[in-house]
Amino acid sequence: MSDKNATAAARIADQLASCGVKLVATLPDNWVMDLITTIDHDDRFVHVPVNREESAIGLCSGAYMGAMGSAALMGASGFMTVIYALTKINYSYEIPLFLMATLRGQAGDHHKHHISNGLYLLPVLNAISMPYQIIDQPEDIGLISRCYTHTRTYSRPMVVLFTRDLLRGAH
Amino acid sequence: MKYVECFRALAQHRTHEIVITSAGNSSQAWWAATRDANASFYLDASMSLSTMFASGLALAQPDLKFWAFMGDGAFAMNPGMLMVERQMNLQNLTHFLVSNQVYGATSNAGLPNLGKTDYAALARSMGLDRVFAFKTIEALDRDFPSLKAANVPGHTFVVLEVEPFSDQEQKLEQPPFDGPELKFRFGRHIESLTGADIFGYRI
Repeated sequence: MSDKNATAAARIADQLASCGVKLVATLPDNWVMDLITTIDHDDRFVHVPVNREESAIGLCSGAYMGAMGSAALMGASGFMTVIYALTKINYSYEIPLFLMATLRGQAGDHHKHHISNGLYLLPVLNAISMPYQIIDQPEDIGLISRCYTHTRTYSRPMVVLFTRDLLRGAH
Repeated sequence: MKYVECFRALAQHRTHEIVITSAGNSSQAWWAATRDANASFYLDASMSLSTMFASGLALAQPDLKFWAFMGDGAFAMNPGMLMVERQMNLQNLTHFLVSNQVYGATSNAGLPNLGKTDYAALARSMGLDRVFAFKTIEALDRDFPSLKAANVPGHTFVVLEVEPFSDQEQKLEQPPFDGPELKFRFGRHIESLTGADIFGYRI
């Protein structure tokens, strides 16, 4: 883990802890592996690796109903699989949920299999009226607490989208 | 055994358990059996996620006990949930797999691999130790109390083999709540039991 990546991961973890997040449910994406490792080693959190992204939605929504702060961390492709769960559970019952995902498929992402995410991730978010915040620079990590608080005001989900530059550095 | 009769029997054995129902017929059956409007969350909009929802609750509130129902139609969509449940291994959670062998909420459409899937064996293959199965009300009434009272570590998985809803049962009333009302009724109940602050304000 490079110093820069470690710093970003640690700062994200600090932001989550400052919001009262206890449960973090994760599925991997190469860009967030440093963050997952950081969370896994941090005693402030209960880290639950889950079998699929929808399980993270169910788990974190239940935690909310038990008064436990939570966050779901996943890649962009995984996020694209959870529209049913989000719209059914979190929109139908108005259950707040804080998500973190990767902003794949943008300039700087060399993986051709993420082109679809570049094309459709943001339009899908707009289509379901789900607010999002792109976090591209370390100085923007502080927006996490603001977004987390917004889920509680809005009583629905919100996602912060991490860029490659933030998580892996520009190249 | 008959689906609703099975749920009525379980309701008789219930003491303080908090209940989560699933997409499928379990919400109708539990509502018919209990008319519980506070200590049950009818998570109809949740294909395959009721036990994950219950796991989040059980993790957050370890002093409460949770029952989560899920049909085998929902289970077929996400059997890997058992890996997560085993990993979390929450002693205060019981997962009831209600095996009616059909997609009950969609006019009893048939399941894939009908009649051949061994759910208890699947659960054991994922490392679950406390795995039970009931085919009759008599067995349920006889053995469930000791199962429920056991103070042993680990999450519990119970297969309930039931008949699909009849055409008449398909007309049973759905729990008459809009989503936000259900959220607040259930959440305020959890708050009253635990002192926890779910919504950030009280009336």
